[in-house]
Amino acid sequence: MGAPLAIEARGLHKTYGGLFGARQRALSGLDLQVAQGEAFGLIGPNGAGKTTFIKILLGIARPTSGEVRLLGGDPEGVEVRRRVGYLPERLHLPHAWTPPAFLASVARLKGVDGSPRLLGDLLSRVGLGDDAGRKIGGFSKGMRQRLGLAAALLGSPDLLVLDEPTDGIDPLGRMEVRRLLQEELGRGATLFLNSHLLAETERVCGRVGILSGGRVLREGRLEDLCQSSSHYRVRFAPGHDAQALAAAGFVAGRDPGSWRCQGDTPERLNEALDRARRAGALLVEVAREEKDLEEVLQEAVRSPPPPAVREEAA
Amino acid sequence: MRTTLAVAADLMREAMKRKWFLGLAIAITALLVTLGLSLRLDVVDGALAATRLFGKVSRGMTIQAVDVALRPVLEAAAWVIFYGGSVFGIIACADFAPKLLSPGRIEHLLALPVRRWELLVGTFLGVLGLSVAAALYGAGGLTLLLGVKAGVWTWRPLVAGLLSSASFAAIYAAMLTVSLWARSAAVSAAIGFVVFVSGIAAGNRHTLIPMFEPGVGRAIFTGYTMPFPRISSLGSAAASIASSQALEVRSLGSLLLGTLVFGAAVLALGAWRFEQKDF
Repeated sequence: MGAPLAIEARGLHKTYGGLFGARQRALSGLDLQVAQGEAFGLIGPNGAGKTTFIKILLGIARPTSGEVRLLGGDPEGVEVRRRVGYLPERLHLPHAWTPPAFLASVARLKGVDGSPRLLGDLLSRVGLGDDAGRKIGGFSKGMRQRLGLAAALLGSPDLLVLDEPTDGIDPLGRMEVRRLLQEELGRGATLFLNSHLLAETERVCGRVGILSGGRVLREGRLEDLCQSSSHYRVRFAPGHDAQALAAAGFVAGRDPGSWRCQGDTPERLNEALDRARRAGALLVEVAREEKDLEEVLQEAVRSPPPPAVREEAA
Repeated sequence: MRTTLAVAADLMREAMKRKWFLGLAIAITALLVTLGLSLRLDVVDGALAATRLFGKVSRGMTIQAVDVALRPVLEAAAWVIFYGGSVFGIIACADFAPKLLSPGRIEHLLALPVRRWELLVGTFLGVLGLSVAAALYGAGGLTLLLGVKAGVWTWRPLVAGLLSSASFAAIYAAMLTVSLWARSAAVSAAIGFVVFVSGIAAGNRHTLIPMFEPGVGRAIFTGYTMPFPRISSLGSAAASIASSQALEVRSLGSLLLGTLVFGAAVLALGAWRFEQKDF
């Protein structure tokens, strides 16, 4: 990885509880690196340790062991935090305040420009320009989320850590948020996204990590994760013999002319294609089958853990 | 320091939007305005000749120097500000720390460039600021009223008001610290009242001690009340100062020092806990 790192976690362990309560392991040796300027999505089932990881990342919780560095520094360092924008999953906002008052407070604590004009622009950017005079207590969940996002964007941070940023936001609003995040990426910010909405992660992030049992099970570029290593999508010219193709090991796809076949190695793939051609089918297209993120997640979570995890569990 | 003061100022801004504090401000203002409009003090050659409240002349008054005549009024006001202010503060400020530590808020604050101790001290200073503002508003209003009505200008009620804030600061330090173990407004208020009552007992230790059996009982009572600030002694001192009477306590300085040490120690314990805690 050539670019400097925005997030660097090595061997992170976190165990909650103690004394009289049952000890609960949230992270079991998590390793993760995110380069600056990258859009990284963290996905995983409930209880996988995603929120714990984010809390450790921001110095809100401390790891039991392991090391974490944020933008090359200590996550608890004031100067490092000044360069970070964070949107928690459930942001509690002061009900009696107006959005500009809340943002002005965050700007003061962050030590960044909180002029009324800038705050007004920021509110317009997240779609709250017309609601600047209203009290936050009367806001819907989506509006609160937008305000939280505005607070995270204050001071143009180098790293944005967003926990479920589009939770409660309507579909059109989600598109606006995606556009906004793309703008932030465009100016060079790093994006660390934790979202249950896999389609959201797919659309925004270039790299994804799958977290389960407190450990990153799979991690890589989205296209690498979603491409099947053994299945191919094949298209034949019209007029092929469907029964013959089925007998040759091909499975019909959803679209007419579309078929699937298995080929663990290039030799096996070509053997399958040779069988199809012998049956009179004319090949027009062959490509690795692409799974969606949901399938990748299911596959990763259901597959047996790697040996290191099994040993630790034992 | 800038961050600490920003946290304190935010807490005060938030408090001013709350019904409790709006109610207190309205109540103090209403009382002062009512007194201002209905109280008439007839001062002749520095002596209070007659007092009229709602147009009725107070009977049974002897003519005496106006500053002497007003002493009971100032003393009563000091008692009300001291004890009433403490009780009001314990109830109204009990949920500040639990709300600050609530999920979704503390994570957001801790992710900002704010050190944990700054957040804790800022919260403490914010509440202290509220207490001082309320005490000075009440005592200052009364001072202004008596100054205008009777020509008696005295700084003493203001000092009494500040003493009540000093006492409440020690109580609130305990309330804030306990919130870091149990995030509950009820527990915070309960601890506030425990410190308040124990502090009253500590100030009256020598009066109360004969009520305990000599030996273990007295030792336990003495040991228990020893660490607490002597709140009732501070209250007496505030009343004496307000009414220009001789202090009953031997040293106001040592009383204040004891209160400061208690508050600082409890707050240091809270800061230690805050630094260790995961959210």
